[in-house]
Amino acid sequence: MIDLPMVKTLIISSLVLFSFMATAQVRKVEGRVTAKEDGEPVPGVNITVKGTSKGNSTDLDGKYVIELGPNENTLVFSFVGFTTQTIDVGNRTIVDVVMESDTDLLEEVVVIGYGTQAKSDLTGSIASLKGSDLTRIPSFNAAQSLQGRVSGVQVFNSSGAPGAVPVVRIRGVGTFNNTSPIYVVDGVILDDISFLNSADIQSMEVLKDASSTAIFGSRGANGVIIVTTKLGKVGQEVPVVNVNAEYSVQEVGKTIDLLNGKEFGQITNEIMPGTYNNLNALPNTDWQSLIFRTAPQQNYQVSVTGSSQKSQYYFGVGYYNQEGIVPNSNYERVTLKFNNTYAITDHIKFGNNISFAPFSQRNAPDVVYQAYRAQPLKVPYYSDGSFGAVPNVGNPLASLAYSNNYNSGMRLVGNLFVDVSFMKDFVFHTSLGVDALNSKSEDFTPAYTVYNPDGTPNQQQNLLSSLSKGTSTSSTLLWENTLTYTKQVGDHKFTVLGGYTMQTTSNEFINIRGSNIIRDYPELRYLNNPLYYYDLTTTPNVNNLSGINNGVDAGMYYSMISYLFRVNYNLKDRYLFTASFRRDGSSKFSKSNRFANFPSFAAGWNIINEDFMQDVKLFTNLKLRASWGAIGNEKIDYLKQYSLIASNGNTSPVFGVGNNLVNGATWDVAGNPDLRWETTYQTDIGLEVGFLNDRLTAEFDYFSKETQDILVPLRTQGYTGNGNGALITVNAGTVLNRGFEFNVAWQDEFHGLKYRIGLVGNTLHNEVLAVGGSKGIDSTLVGGFLANGQAATLSSVGLPIGSFYGYRTNGLFQNAAELTSYPASSEAVVGDLRFVDMNNDGKITAADRTNIGSPIPTFLYGFNFQLEYKGFELLADFQGQSGNKILNGKEIVRPDPYNFEKHVMNRWTGEGTSYTEPRPSFGGYNYSISDRFIQSGDYLRLRSLTLGYNLPAKWLDKVSVKSAKLYLRGTNLFTVSSFTGYSPDFGSTNVLANNIDNGAYPVARIYTLGLNVTF
Amino acid sequence: MKNHHITTLFRKAWLLIPVLLISFSCEDFLDRKPQGQLLQTSWPTSAADALAATNAVYASLRNWYFHSGGYPILDIMSDDARKGSSPADQVSTVGAYDAFAINTQQDGLDRWWAAVYQGIRNANIAITYIPTVPMDDALRTRYVAEARFLRALFYFDMVRAWGGVPLVTVPDPPLNMTRATSDEVYAQIISDLTFAAQNLPERDAYTGSDIGRASKGAAKAYLAKAYLFKGDLINAEQPAVDVILSGKYSLETNFEDANGVNGNFGVESVFEVGAKPNDGNDNGGAQYANTQGIRGSPNRGWGFNRPSVDLINSFEANDPRKEATVIFLGEVLAGVPTLGDLTNPDTIKVNNVIVEVECYNQKVWTSGGDTPSQWGHHRRLMRYADVLLMAAEILNKNGNSGQARIYLNQVRLRARGGNGSILPDITETDQNLLHDIIINERRHELALEGHRYWDLVRTGKAATVLGPLGYTAKYDLLPIPQSQIDLSQGRITQNPGWN
Repeated sequence: MIDLPMVKTLIISSLVLFSFMATAQVRKVEGRVTAKEDGEPVPGVNITVKGTSKGNSTDLDGKYVIELGPNENTLVFSFVGFTTQTIDVGNRTIVDVVMESDTDLLEEVVVIGYGTQAKSDLTGSIASLKGSDLTRIPSFNAAQSLQGRVSGVQVFNSSGAPGAVPVVRIRGVGTFNNTSPIYVVDGVILDDISFLNSADIQSMEVLKDASSTAIFGSRGANGVIIVTTKLGKVGQEVPVVNVNAEYSVQEVGKTIDLLNGKEFGQITNEIMPGTYNNLNALPNTDWQSLIFRTAPQQNYQVSVTGSSQKSQYYFGVGYYNQEGIVPNSNYERVTLKFNNTYAITDHIKFGNNISFAPFSQRNAPDVVYQAYRAQPLKVPYYSDGSFGAVPNVGNPLASLAYSNNYNSGMRLVGNLFVDVSFMKDFVFHTSLGVDALNSKSEDFTPAYTVYNPDGTPNQQQNLLSSLSKGTSTSSTLLWENTLTYTKQVGDHKFTVLGGYTMQTTSNEFINIRGSNIIRDYPELRYLNNPLYYYDLTTTPNVNNLSGINNGVDAGMYYSMISYLFRVNYNLKDRYLFTASFRRDGSSKFSKSNRFANFPSFAAGWNIINEDFMQDVKLFTNLKLRASWGAIGNEKIDYLKQYSLIASNGNTSPVFGVGNNLVNGATWDVAGNPDLRWETTYQTDIGLEVGFLNDRLTAEFDYFSKETQDILVPLRTQGYTGNGNGALITVNAGTVLNRGFEFNVAWQDEFHGLKYRIGLVGNTLHNEVLAVGGSKGIDSTLVGGFLANGQAATLSSVGLPIGSFYGYRTNGLFQNAAELTSYPASSEAVVGDLRFVDMNNDGKITAADRTNIGSPIPTFLYGFNFQLEYKGFELLADFQGQSGNKILNGKEIVRPDPYNFEKHVMNRWTGEGTSYTEPRPSFGGYNYSISDRFIQSGDYLRLRSLTLGYNLPAKWLDKVSVKSAKLYLRGTNLFTVSSFTGYSPDFGSTNVLANNIDNGAYPVARIYTLGLNVTF
Repeated sequence: MKNHHITTLFRKAWLLIPVLLISFSCEDFLDRKPQGQLLQTSWPTSAADALAATNAVYASLRNWYFHSGGYPILDIMSDDARKGSSPADQVSTVGAYDAFAINTQQDGLDRWWAAVYQGIRNANIAITYIPTVPMDDALRTRYVAEARFLRALFYFDMVRAWGGVPLVTVPDPPLNMTRATSDEVYAQIISDLTFAAQNLPERDAYTGSDIGRASKGAAKAYLAKAYLFKGDLINAEQPAVDVILSGKYSLETNFEDANGVNGNFGVESVFEVGAKPNDGNDNGGAQYANTQGIRGSPNRGWGFNRPSVDLINSFEANDPRKEATVIFLGEVLAGVPTLGDLTNPDTIKVNNVIVEVECYNQKVWTSGGDTPSQWGHHRRLMRYADVLLMAAEILNKNGNSGQARIYLNQVRLRARGGNGSILPDITETDQNLLHDIIINERRHELALEGHRYWDLVRTGKAATVLGPLGYTAKYDLLPIPQSQIDLSQGRITQNPGWN
């Protein structure tokens, strides 16, 4: 296709130029442009003669020729991704230029929703992490890298088990439901990035404010993390091969101080006198030391990247294998990554981003909690080598030995896209994305019995072998079409984006169970032969699948349609405006609530570009920005809108002399057809500053976001007939999150020592503003149910979400007189906790329970140091939080005699002996939920410490190696915390059950040796 | 130049793609039903659906919060029973009913209210939608009659407990309802029972797995009872007499079988709640008997609803029904001696007077060596002895004391168990004295079956009999659960005396 008008213009302008040249005195300058990074030539560099419209560009070898007029002396070299250079030619005729990459400078390009933008043009709050920043934590999940590195982002672990997905929260907790952000990997919208190798990632941008997230509409309210994977650079025609190998050793960072055998015997004797006669003869088993081990972790990666004239490519192969610090737990994953673009013509480009990741995982049973509870005076093995019985909780080692819980699967994520540019200023982009996950699970328990010392069977037994198997498939197809128009007219720059997207997601899950597998062979773990198994449960069940008990077969299917629109307007590089709008339609909601609109508006002022700032040398950057917008959350239990039919034993009567349960069916609890999305309204004000030639940079943000229409289950009137305790989900809650964020960095070079100091942090105020209901009885939202069914949290108006709820204590009853003078429960005796009579009715009742702490940190921070000197580098990342509490839930639930934490030794044994630690007891009154079990969640951790050495180039040249780095790394090396559990940085995806330690699998301390070689 | 136009056209075609996408019907694309779930909007539509919908109304009777123990056991409020269990157990929850110390937020009230209304909803669903199902006309009418019978039972409980309540007769009522009057509720009950009595078959029309469904006799018996409670003795007479004259019912020979497993769906059973001997409501069990079963050894339950000393002492000399109503310590049942709860005292004295002895309700006793067997007890909601005594009471009030004595003495004859020296025939002719005798006979015949408290209130004897136990006039009706008043934002008002 020949562009006729363009040819015409070219011819005419050439004629004009020639006629001009014929009359003027000219001289010729030539040279070669190379990149500083690799010394390779840079083609396509734009060269202009300052003060004129003359220009040229470099050829494939980086060479150029340009002619200068009599008064022309200055050349400007510019190219995307490089710092623009202005050079005085002087008398030279040959000017060679080395271009420096500008990724570290302000003019960096940031990936935003459905596009990219120069950082200086941003009006929203977006944080960016690149390249090596993403691989500093030896984890299978890149989200771990965000912890302590991005202000406003909290990352923690619901479990330290291999393969456990980290929990990410951006700018607080804005719902009682799902708080996870979405991930947009090369344009494909996902819930999780466990399939991605961190080394394949080019950059991660965290979109925090409404201006940047509203373009994702109903999915943006919890924040958006855009992940861009690697691609060869244009002009990089020699392939770059990178090999990275890491070997790590993991161990439990700390163990919990528990009673030893003798101490346990002593306390037991105080509770039940005469239980043990000779304390010194009691066995002492340290169960924690038996269930934890030192475990290896390996991570290997090979990648090839580069480009040719028409295409760019990246290939990456990775292998990750992590053994758990608890035996019989591991995670193994292979990642295949291939990204390509093919320029078919100057106007049309095809491309693909594909990730494929098979994985397998073995899950250990919950032996961490078992070891915490197991009595220390029970032996792990009898003299004959068989497992010793541990009353009430079972022998953790036996639990491990008989557990065979696996899951595995493969995930394919990627897209194919076409970019068509036309009419100079338009780019049409269409992309078909896919996210497919196929996984299966298997849980086999052989028949076994642990025997008591007297030879009778212990309750830790499984009389018939049992097998449970599940498969699940889910797939998402996403078709996105966008049209981008970019235009500059004088001082006015516009970018206009319009788009239309369609998505379908389907999910199927089948789980079946059977018993009595005839042999324990792994190859017989199939439920296909009725001769080899039968159902253990013979109880008739109306919904029973024939032959297989407890079967589950469930599916989910939904679809979305979205329209999106955005305008960026830049006036003189000083005044920036952004308006975006997304209209989402979802099958999750009924017709009347199906579509919703999510607008946002933002403005920025690059003060630094104002005329009056040109003489102010102190600043290199000064920018103010503000945004407002509405964003939605559709990750809610939308099935609650449906009114379903219930048919089960409870809806079936018994008739006939044979007592036949006859099938009945009726309406289940009514759904709420008016259910709609939760909506967050967020305001953000930001200030960006650069001082002293950008040696000191700082970014400050204030945000305030109010989430409305949060789904809350509320009681309904009894006469509606929904049944006792029936709850109907209503859009009724409101939550406020506001805070102040900062990100400050200082970088400089001092006699060859390059250093960088970074500091990030944010404050957070989280407050429930409404939970719906009326008259008080429904203005409560309980959660955090402990193993004994007690609710440990109450999210009520004025308090943070998931606030702990229990009694306040006020010392101990020192004597019988206090027991009568002070309000006391009828259960209390001397030596017990004194609960505070909050409602002053003279009695201690359930009504005296009150707020006893918040699980949400009020301050999150991180700081890091980076030093480079003569090939050596030292990196240290610290991270911490404060203002939150932890409920030691594992200590509370004790229906039976379990081991105690060491503090029980400071117990009350008579008047004045203790004012905090009550008389010992195996559960009961003193183990009601109270502030006694609340601990500080404050901590400071050395998250990562790396010492690296770049081998000298003179050694490497001989073996054709471009660069090689050897490094030693420690992860979670130390933590300053008063928390008595394994690790204070844990939590739950369930915001109503946050920071309750129920004996979670601990996060490991890791030592790593790594080697990175580039050919 | 032509080429140029084609190129432009081609470019514009790209622009059209989004337009095409948008016009592609998004309503269809976005219509996704929940998977694996049947929606209320597409049910019931078949004869099988109609049957299942009818069955579910019966299932409400087995609800733990209705007839399984999670509701207030009203005998505990009467002079027949104490709280039971161990002295410290459930003092503030169940004990408050015993002590006439309940409040508007009393444990059990709210659950009972919600559970009965759940039954009413199930009935309303059947009554509203089964007529729209294409199926056999006769069967359809029967299903609706069964549901209306059950709806009447539910409202009969409500009107006796709370008086006028929101009168819901549609499956999905508006949220701004207020209380109907007691008369309006009774009118609905009588309308439903009249319809049921006209359209239900006699009990012997049911066979196999239909045995236990509502019958014409059951509807008439309840119709009589509803009129009796309403005080309309003229209208009460005919349905009561009809049941007797139908010849479909008789008294069990053994008094124990009237409530025992041998009498399940037996000759004396007019209407009962079927249950399977399985642990768990969802497995067909009912926990009514387990709630009241022997506590301790043998372990048959929790021991609530303990027969009172007053009840034990009130039986006529040698009335065999005393032994058949009360399990005393040491009593051997099915070869197993009753030792009871060994951790608690066998007698409780106040001022040296025995006020309570450890004993248990034998009406719910079920043989079988384990707890689940107790879940198979069929609670009798209406038995023929009750019909005879109601008929006697009504006839006596209507001036036919001769016929009244005949029915009364039929009950005594069976109680006598062939022993001619006890429980002589009643010959009293004075209307008022005979009335008291009949009410007293009801106490002994129907003890611990959930009738006594309401009988005392209905006959105006509550103040005399229960006054010493703490009863006051406000207890004629229970308090409306405070939560329901709150949830209605005050539209539902409280009963007199409970504010």
